[in-house]
Amino acid sequence: MSILQDIKNAVRSRSIHVSYVDVGSCNGCDIEVLACLAPRYDIEQYGIYVHNNPREADVLLVIGSVTPQWVDKLRDIWEKIPEPKVAVAIGNCPISGCVYARKGTLTTPPVENYIPIAASVPGCPPRPTEILSAILSVAPLIFKDYEEKQR
Amino acid sequence: MRSIVYYVREFLRPEWLRKFFLVKTAPLETPSYFKDYPSLTGKECTACFSCMMICPAPNAIAVLRRQDRWEPEIYRGHCIRCGLCVEACPEDVLASGRILDTTHRDRTAFSSWYHLEVDDTLCMRCGNCCVSCPVNRQVDPQLAGTGTSASDEVVMRVEGGRVRILHEEKCTGCKTCEINCPNRAIRVARMVEGVQEEAEA
Repeated sequence: MSILQDIKNAVRSRSIHVSYVDVGSCNGCDIEVLACLAPRYDIEQYGIYVHNNPREADVLLVIGSVTPQWVDKLRDIWEKIPEPKVAVAIGNCPISGCVYARKGTLTTPPVENYIPIAASVPGCPPRPTEILSAILSVAPLIFKDYEEKQR
Repeated sequence: MRSIVYYVREFLRPEWLRKFFLVKTAPLETPSYFKDYPSLTGKECTACFSCMMICPAPNAIAVLRRQDRWEPEIYRGHCIRCGLCVEACPEDVLASGRILDTTHRDRTAFSSWYHLEVDDTLCMRCGNCCVSCPVNRQVDPQLAGTGTSASDEVVMRVEGGRVRILHEEKCTGCKTCEINCPNRAIRVARMVEGVQEEAEA
């Protein structure tokens, strides 16, 4: 069992599938996530692959302060991700609402009220390197020895 | 045939194999000039609250009273790293990236004043603003009731049935008039302007 687990650990550490969802923000953080894909930062050399399908993903990057229309849809997306899964909040908006945390704006931050968040990357927007290192440091905490932790 | 052999030999070179399978970009380092979250320089804070007033993000910075001194605190998750607090601080308490270097080199600063504005369509000439103003109270202790005053040195007074602002520059920005106005007719706005000293010729 432990050999099988070791193989799974080794494979999972080099194959982290990421899906991102913008639940209402200025798109600045989306651009920073996409900058991770560019050759300057090259997220795929670390074994992180970006999809737009939550059913293929292990890590969900949540961007933006939650608008009321997104509340139920965000939960749907979270439930579609197969276990083991983890959500990472990117930017200030999912943490505090950032500049949208004012009277009269139709947002309902923080995102922790709707789905469990394992890590958050503050910044408006955060640097691509910060996003990268957050994913790389949170992934082994969740995915390593996942089957053994279940028992 | 020769070309196939050439390609097989080329792709079996250990150097090529190592480069192909193990290539990585150089580790990414944060450059020294990156405008990160402001950090304390250790200089003494005088609690002028310039940083809090200029901050565009809600709840991002607070000047707190520590044991024996004042100290600004930045809240991550709220701060947007714009660096305005670093520029606005007259005492260089905060530092971030090379903002302090450039402001010292270019001799730039912010100057601020308070602008009073009365909306005549909302104002009902009750004189509450003139009576409640603590600066008015100091200048003219007789000022009461209708808000009229004999003194020309008051910030504002009721003249001929309407509020007239005489000395905007004396306003301290306490907003007592705003609180006491029943119609929200008077507004106190903090105006900020970037200024640059002339370079020595």
